[in-house]
Amino acid sequence: MTAYLTNLASLGAIFCILAATLNVAVGYAGIFSVAHAVFFGLGAYAGAQVSLLLVPDALLAMLAAALVSGVLSLCLALPALRVRGEYFVAASLGLQMMAVTLFSEAKTVTGGIGGLTGIPGPRLFGVEVSTLPVALGALAVILLATALLMRSSFGRTLQAIRDAESAAEALGKNVAAAKALAVAFACAGAGVAGALFAMHMQFVNVESFTLDQSVLIMAMVIIGGTGTLWGPLVGAVILLSLPAGLAFLPFIPSTEVGAVQQVIYGLAMTLLMIFRPAGLVGDLSRGKSHA
Amino acid sequence: MSGMNSGRRALLGGLAVAPFVGSARAQSAAPYIVGTLFPMSGPNAEYGSVFTAGAALAIQHINADGILRRPVRIQAEDTQALPQQAVVAMNKLVSVDHAHYVLSAFTAVSKAVAPVGDRARTVMVNGGAVGPDLSGLSPYFWNVIPLAHLETQALLPFMIQRGLKRVALVYVDDPLGDAILGILRTSLPAAGGSLVGNFSVPRTAQQFAPVAARIRQTRPDAVYIASFGAQQSQIIKQLRDNGVSQPLVSYSAMNIDSVRNTPEAEGLIFTTQSTDFEGGDAVTRRFATDFKAQHNADPGTYQVNYYNAVRLFGLLAQSLERENAEVNGENLRRVLLAQREFDLVGGKGRFDDLGNMSAALQITEIRGGRLVKIG
Amino acid sequence: MLFLQLLLQGLQVGALYALTAAGFALIFGATRIFHFAHGSAFTLAGYTFLFTSQAGWPWYLGGLASVGVATLFGIGIYWFVYRPIQRHEGSFFTVFVAAFGVGIVVQNLVGMFAGRGFASVDTPLSRATEVLPDVYLAQVFWVAIGLSLVLFLLLTLFLTRHHAGVALRALHQNPDLLRAYGLSSTKLSLLAFAVGSALVAPAAMLTAMTSGLNEAIGHHVMLISMAATIVGGVGSLRGAALAGLMLGVAEAVALSFVDTQWAEAVSFLVLFAFIIFRPSGIFGIAQAR
Repeated sequence: MTAYLTNLASLGAIFCILAATLNVAVGYAGIFSVAHAVFFGLGAYAGAQVSLLLVPDALLAMLAAALVSGVLSLCLALPALRVRGEYFVAASLGLQMMAVTLFSEAKTVTGGIGGLTGIPGPRLFGVEVSTLPVALGALAVILLATALLMRSSFGRTLQAIRDAESAAEALGKNVAAAKALAVAFACAGAGVAGALFAMHMQFVNVESFTLDQSVLIMAMVIIGGTGTLWGPLVGAVILLSLPAGLAFLPFIPSTEVGAVQQVIYGLAMTLLMIFRPAGLVGDLSRGKSHA
Repeated sequence: MSGMNSGRRALLGGLAVAPFVGSARAQSAAPYIVGTLFPMSGPNAEYGSVFTAGAALAIQHINADGILRRPVRIQAEDTQALPQQAVVAMNKLVSVDHAHYVLSAFTAVSKAVAPVGDRARTVMVNGGAVGPDLSGLSPYFWNVIPLAHLETQALLPFMIQRGLKRVALVYVDDPLGDAILGILRTSLPAAGGSLVGNFSVPRTAQQFAPVAARIRQTRPDAVYIASFGAQQSQIIKQLRDNGVSQPLVSYSAMNIDSVRNTPEAEGLIFTTQSTDFEGGDAVTRRFATDFKAQHNADPGTYQVNYYNAVRLFGLLAQSLERENAEVNGENLRRVLLAQREFDLVGGKGRFDDLGNMSAALQITEIRGGRLVKIG
Repeated sequence: MLFLQLLLQGLQVGALYALTAAGFALIFGATRIFHFAHGSAFTLAGYTFLFTSQAGWPWYLGGLASVGVATLFGIGIYWFVYRPIQRHEGSFFTVFVAAFGVGIVVQNLVGMFAGRGFASVDTPLSRATEVLPDVYLAQVFWVAIGLSLVLFLLLTLFLTRHHAGVALRALHQNPDLLRAYGLSSTKLSLLAFAVGSALVAPAAMLTAMTSGLNEAIGHHVMLISMAATIVGGVGSLRGAALAGLMLGVAEAVALSFVDTQWAEAVSFLVLFAFIIFRPSGIFGIAQAR
């Protein structure tokens, strides 16, 4: 039982990082990206390659992953600077779909659909460690950085952009720089999560970085509550434990297990949005339209 | 927990008719757990139901015969054929359900769960995926299905003999498709044929009419299709609809209902394991008769494989019970390597050092929605 | 010849894309709801047609049933999902997540009741014959093109001549003004969902005959519709339809230049390029910024 729970908790921490970083883009800067899994994937491949080719060090892998994802986040920042709202969603969707094709084709780096196997588990300074403490540590650092950033003038600029972009621009805020920085921070964070994921699973392939994954992360943020520090974490824990918990239901016939679980999962998403549109943690009065 | 177990037993009772008619002592002990990591939802869910049917029948037979002191039950986990879900499910099987034996399927899933099972020393058996990189994943990862490179090799002489020398390949670019491409590139010319074109398609692709146009241009004698799941029928139908009239050839993944029921699949030639359901031995005949009685249909290769996988567990566990040894991964592997040969559906199954079973292959053609052996 | 062949195939697929895209654009244009469950209407319509034809119904009855199911689904999802969310002024993404949930539910229910995997309606219409040397064309090509043209003509007439259609077009520009004229925006939104969803039914039926269905097919339909709406320019039905046609052609014709595995990425490359270089789309008037 402990091993199972440790594994779930490690995945939970990794997805908490993903949700928390996406929240920086969505909740604080109003950039609705459905391509978060792309940067998760980039980080995973970068981290895996560092572990496989150089040294299997968790810190180095996370650093490399953050760098790769952060730099390539320009692909996302570019449309974010050009368009807003639905247009940006569509742009990120396009990016997500193209990235999946690229991940499948760039076999030398990603292993294609076959993926990368035999990735060494996480090590710190040569000592083998479990993923959970490393992931929790990374999550804590990212949450702290987010909280500090949001209290700084940069955070206020971001929120001003989210609530009224044109007004922020008129007040002389450097909208472009602020947006690009928010995107880079979010994507670098996703990269860190990717490196952790690769080391934890010891196997990665493109099927973990599809649109469905991006939407799942997005759903975590929305269901938890955008623009709050803890909401995304609540959302991540709920959405991850929902299918895991449903797996314990005894009365579902074995051939329909998957379908019934998926139906309950889908219904939960819809009903939550109908009855708690601002998310579980979010304040209902703040759930006004931003897009 | 015990209330939950009885609930599951009631459920399995419905699934497997009468699983506990065996010896009285079988009912008292805690059951052996056979975990399944099959896609039960998502685009590959058709396979999940197919695989489960074979495993469930084997469990029913083991319980009815009372060959083990404890009953056997299935613990089904849905993987959607995705690696991440599979790792979560595998961890649950290993550390919550304490599964004695795990059935796996799909290449990516198998590769993802292999490290988990390896660490826990839990035997995982694949009877569905045929990617050649599944061999030797772990001492505890066995295959009861001949891997794809063997199937393609077996088809080559047949094709040359039929005059199907110019071959075009439509494939999903995964390790399986890659392996088939490699064989067609090297072994086909050696056998006297040539690969005139290869067309990689994304796993999620739906439109194949343009691919058909490209294939026609290469003027092939035959088209080899290396995909799986719902996509296979889509490829077949759209190739046929769009002027590709040459023979279509493929491997054992075609052996599912949705392909057999596609009218355009008439004449499709593919390799499968050879199983003679009528004239075979007692094990094979009993399997075929009972399967037909329960499902009102002929069993397919996958049902045979997963029946065999579970039957293998029954035989290995029986040996261990006889010597009063614990039924765990290490001991199961020890007995497997000691015995090597087992009476399974389709005849004797022989395992090599890596835990791969070899089996005789046959070439079949779909005629009127049924499989006919042609070579 | 390969080019001509690919062009024709692209037109056939593109005509179907155009229909679904027009439905999506109509709904989005009138109600500003990014109807992410549009693909589910397609799945339901396709499977309805499949079942009725397996049950031996004549095609026109099956077609009517299919249109009916799609329309009911559109009305239902607006009434039971989107309207309650909009009452709280739910943000764009609240709608997105809710619709995605509906999509998952529909996909799995269809899988449970209709069986999983591939299914198609068998018809000689989809069997191509050689019309020119090395150019194959099936009768369904003419059906797809003809049907799309007729439906667009009807839709244009409805939107320009019928008062409800005109009101529909006005809805997204100024809902308050409409209310002042005594028109109900709820009723008009319902109408938009009904008409927009009904438009996917013919495309779903033709897909059931040509490339076949599986329970997850709605996903792809939704992505293409969304891409076409953006490329065409939000608010322009004509643009969405033309863009849908264009994406279908691009996917097919691309194969005369690149390897087959890149076909799917082509649509999204076009989409991405449009957003970067011409975010207003082909016919878009309102700029995004």
